[in-house]
Amino acid sequence: MEINIQPLVPEIIMAVLALLLLLLELFVRRKETVGLLCIASVTVAAYYMPQSFGKAFGGMFISDGYSVFFKFLFFINLILTVLLSIRYIVIERVNHGEYYALMMLSTLGMMIMASAGDLIVLYLGLELMALSTYILAGFIRHDIRSNEAALKYFLLGAFSSAILLYGITMIYGRTGTTGIALIGAALAEGTVDPVLLLSVTALLVALGFKIALAPFHMWAPDAYEGAPTSVTAFMSVGPKAAGFAALGRVFLTGFGPLTGEWSVILIVLSVLTMAVGNILAIQQQNIKRMLAYSSVAHAGYAVIGVIAAGAEGLSSMMNYLFIYALMNIGAFAVVITLRSEGFQGESLHDYKGLSRTHPVAAAVMLVFMFSLTGIPPTAGFIGKFYIFKAAVAAGYAWLAVVAVVFSVISAFFYLRVVMYMYMHEPEGEPLTLSLSPAIGLALLITTVMVLIVGIYPSPFLAFARIAAG
Amino acid sequence: MVELFFGYLAGAVVVLSLLVVFSRNAVHSVLWMLLMFLHMAGLYLLLNAEFLAATQVIVYAGAILVLFLFVIMLLNITEEMRLEQFTVGWPMGVSVSLGVLIAMLAALSGFRTDLKGPWSIEAVERTTHTKALGKVLYTEYMLPFEIASLVLLVAIVGAVYLAKKRLR
Amino acid sequence: MQYYLLIPFLPLGAFFVNLLLGRRVVRGQAHWPSTLAVLGSLAVSVMVLLDVLEGRTLNEDLYRWILSGDFQVSVGFLIDQLTAVMLIVVTSVSFLVHVYSIGYMHGDPGYYRFYAYLSLFTFSMLMLVMANNFLQLYFGWEAVGLCSYLLIGFWYQKRSASDAGKKAFIVNRFGDFGFGLGVIMVFLTFGTLYYLPVFDNAGDLAARSINILGLEVNLITLIALLLFCGAVGKSAQIPLHVWLPDAMEGPTPVSALIHAATMVTAGVFMVARLNPLFSLSPAAMDVVALVGGVTALFAATIALVQNDIKRVIAYSTISQLGYMFMACGVGAFAAGIFHLYTHAYFKALLFLCAGSVMHAMGGEVDMQRMGGLRRYMPVTYVTMLIASLSISGLPGLAGFFSKDEILFRAYSAGGVGVVVWVLGTVSALLTAFYSFRLVFLTFHGGFRGTEEQRHHLHESPKVMTVPLMLLCAGAIAAGWVGIPPLLGGGGQFSEFLAPVLGHPEAEASHAEEWMTMGLSVLVAAGGVLLALLFYLRNPEIPVRLAERFRPLYSLLWNKYYVDELYDAVVVRPTIFVARNVIVGFTDGALIEGVVNGLPGLVGWLGARVRRIQDGLLQHYGAVMALGLFLIFAIALITLS
Repeated sequence: MEINIQPLVPEIIMAVLALLLLLLELFVRRKETVGLLCIASVTVAAYYMPQSFGKAFGGMFISDGYSVFFKFLFFINLILTVLLSIRYIVIERVNHGEYYALMMLSTLGMMIMASAGDLIVLYLGLELMALSTYILAGFIRHDIRSNEAALKYFLLGAFSSAILLYGITMIYGRTGTTGIALIGAALAEGTVDPVLLLSVTALLVALGFKIALAPFHMWAPDAYEGAPTSVTAFMSVGPKAAGFAALGRVFLTGFGPLTGEWSVILIVLSVLTMAVGNILAIQQQNIKRMLAYSSVAHAGYAVIGVIAAGAEGLSSMMNYLFIYALMNIGAFAVVITLRSEGFQGESLHDYKGLSRTHPVAAAVMLVFMFSLTGIPPTAGFIGKFYIFKAAVAAGYAWLAVVAVVFSVISAFFYLRVVMYMYMHEPEGEPLTLSLSPAIGLALLITTVMVLIVGIYPSPFLAFARIAAG
Repeated sequence: MVELFFGYLAGAVVVLSLLVVFSRNAVHSVLWMLLMFLHMAGLYLLLNAEFLAATQVIVYAGAILVLFLFVIMLLNITEEMRLEQFTVGWPMGVSVSLGVLIAMLAALSGFRTDLKGPWSIEAVERTTHTKALGKVLYTEYMLPFEIASLVLLVAIVGAVYLAKKRLR
Repeated sequence: MQYYLLIPFLPLGAFFVNLLLGRRVVRGQAHWPSTLAVLGSLAVSVMVLLDVLEGRTLNEDLYRWILSGDFQVSVGFLIDQLTAVMLIVVTSVSFLVHVYSIGYMHGDPGYYRFYAYLSLFTFSMLMLVMANNFLQLYFGWEAVGLCSYLLIGFWYQKRSASDAGKKAFIVNRFGDFGFGLGVIMVFLTFGTLYYLPVFDNAGDLAARSINILGLEVNLITLIALLLFCGAVGKSAQIPLHVWLPDAMEGPTPVSALIHAATMVTAGVFMVARLNPLFSLSPAAMDVVALVGGVTALFAATIALVQNDIKRVIAYSTISQLGYMFMACGVGAFAAGIFHLYTHAYFKALLFLCAGSVMHAMGGEVDMQRMGGLRRYMPVTYVTMLIASLSISGLPGLAGFFSKDEILFRAYSAGGVGVVVWVLGTVSALLTAFYSFRLVFLTFHGGFRGTEEQRHHLHESPKVMTVPLMLLCAGAIAAGWVGIPPLLGGGGQFSEFLAPVLGHPEAEASHAEEWMTMGLSVLVAAGGVLLALLFYLRNPEIPVRLAERFRPLYSLLWNKYYVDELYDAVVVRPTIFVARNVIVGFTDGALIEGVVNGLPGLVGWLGARVRRIQDGLLQHYGAVMALGLFLIFAIALITLS
């Protein structure tokens, strides 16, 4: 049997280098080096990406524009979170090389998910991603909150995996195949019956769990709050985007013939998600928890792109996730700088008067909060604009209106941070920021990119548009 | 004949599962579960999947349940049983289970028996199950197989990291 | 021709330099980045002018921000004859004002902030005039408004300054509301926001009308009038002129740049730029002409009696802007732009001279406390005298050619044109009078200020007087590019602009042209002589006249009570409503209700939700399962 591994080259490189990193960890004293090597490895994998287009293993693995876009997104996520982590995990006293290897392996899982042409590959990719993330969430072993976060995430994740497998077995029993494209072909001829609906539902629930759609979001606030902040940044973007990649491929290719059935469900979930995320975020006093609910809400916006379907809908969703990655990691980067030896810096009140004590940090946070709200000329506006435009074009104008209303509500809690920073006097001890060149670089990249995408979006839009096909 | 065996095994699996859930003594639960796994292995045998049946016995009965027993005996679980959060949820558990049952029954009408893949019963019988599985696993499903190895690796790394005694 | 991009982006760069490094690094040297940047812009503008003179024009998009079907938001540049003229006007005056401010603003604690704002303003104004679409025009329009607000309130510690800033901003809201509606109407009507397709298609829609509240309104007229609302606000025409005199609270160089030479003329530029739209609606054109004519006379009468040196010039600006609209309204867009161009130099010069006087007088603005300054400040005196002669229309100086062109075009247009010609000619008399009243009160006679002020009187430093002299050259010679054929010139200016602004045919004979010209020279001379008589020969006359016509005098002195009227009709009711309705009801009941009630509601909801979000895994899992069942149920229902 002829095996063509060309499409898999970036994945193989990631796997080999992750294992090498794991070994190297034993000999390298300065763990920062491991972090930098991790970034270097990603660059190598990214270098081989453009030559990877094609299918392998009889269509089980597909490297196309769609997956390559998501893989670049995962790489950006990985690089930025590694930059955030280098100083942070020293402060948390968990400076171990496994951290970076696990991040790479998790990213590898995401890459496999994005490229999966078969539900079994999809499931294994998801497990690889999730298992690594569970461990990362509990990486601060001496912190009970971190343990709790990991355990909750793990148990509920296992529950959702079970549901996913149920769904896969049923679709296999119904169509006799696990290939996503083959499922689509099989469904195109047949009629809709309850088994199909149950398996669609199960897949929707399992993937909805990964992207934190309400009511399958409940793990998110607890896990995000307890996990190390750098891991929170990582898992609020990476696994979510991977979930979207899988959702887009499975539902638009595999379940394409059932669009009428599942789009109704997704609309309900989208509205519910925006409502739950935005309304509960208002109540939060802990910024990590607030950003957790905000991340739930953003999944609600992005899913509109899937509902709108077609190249326009998909590309708006991809574009939104790209922008979301930048602004969300940026916001978490600021949160991390507030954490220092013996100071949590997670309460909203810690942001009072930040503009007086640290004007640059405050200004950067302002950019991210504006972007998360969706105020031009930041990238967040562009993301929302194209999502809403796709919704309107697909005939869901009312859904776009609902989303706009929730965006307005979201201004309440995002701008409250800004208000604390700019309109309150500093309280208590003067803050010291934990800055390092790495985190400075991460902040610079995210801020500049948020502004560039906001002001000059066309190349990014074009990239997403071409990738969506 | 086959129907009779199937009826016995399936019925036993249902009854044993209920016993697993309703036993008050955790050790008894585990032992009921062991029996249930053995009956499930029997079901696999009926489906001409002898390799699966063997794996079921070796991995679940042999490894996982022994681990369960270790944990239960280390934890002195009878104390925990009195704590509210582990028992108060039973109505919820029952309703979820009923929900699954109803959902399955509702979906039943859609199942079909006329689908034939490349591996019909005759083909499996001809090559024997273990050989057939090996063939498929190392050719067609090599990619999932390799990914699974990575998943296991991550699990090991995680277990080692989280269980390491002292950290520098 | 890509280098034209430097024109707006050099000042933008300087803005960022001063914004980021101003407080810490640049400080007292803040003028360097800004001034050099605008000098660079001026140089490039000259190159662009030379290109355009050779017939190379350009219309291209730099980049698209949002592309959504027909709706495009892009930054694009249209460079043609009109743009080239505006570029020269903006960059040259801006450069001289930058230089002048080095002396004028020296030692101000907000020095870097001043130059940062000035650069930002220059950038915005350049983006406005270079736009190739309505949205960028609107962006520039709002941005210059913002800079104007920031600069009027530059000395924000002074209550009157920050109030004046707010007033300018709020009054402009009224006009900009109409302008915004106009832009939206343009998009709805034409399906595009680019100038050229709109102009190309406007002709086909000339006869279309729409029904608004039972009234048939011509579509083009409606659009033109809505857009003109913006011009009325920005260019301080009746009835939205009230902000400009108050804007004099800002630093004087700002008054010269923003409130005389550039920003306030944006309205005129806009009408001229959109001339293909306006020309299609005779009704809108008549409104433009009449608003201009009435404003010209109205503002000139107020200027007659004011004693604040800057306010006299401010009213004079309003009056001169009225002339420009007069010209546009009778279809002589080129004449309007010609006056805009000459006016930029002599009015900026007047303001900077006033600034020089204030500099010497320690910030004094009351002309009744000045007098005899020509002995102390010869350069300022001579330049101001020339500027006044220019604005009054002494033959040969810049103002003469442009004003004469407008009056002749108005007269020859007939109809409403004749009415505005009469208004304009009377205004010319008043213009000459108040301009020389200002000169005589300030520079002639004996000194009426305090001993201390007399002691400090001095000529301003070179860095201020050199820009005065350069502007003076402009006030003399700027008009020479548009000498009418009647006087042996070529009228090159309107020839140059003809591709953009069209070529109005004069229907009057040479005799009539001589008549209007002669008349305007006569009334100008009359005005100067009258001022001479009133304020040098016989200072009792104005006092006696004021006594005699007490009601008229106080009417003018109080600026026709327009501010008081607005206060009673608009401001007080608004505040009343705000206090009693909005604060009492909205804030009290609604906002409070929402702010306190929402958390209450959310808290109530949250209490329920939190019973689920309680950290217990079993519950989370149960909710997931429940969700799964519900979704399956929904799916089953939709299936059957």
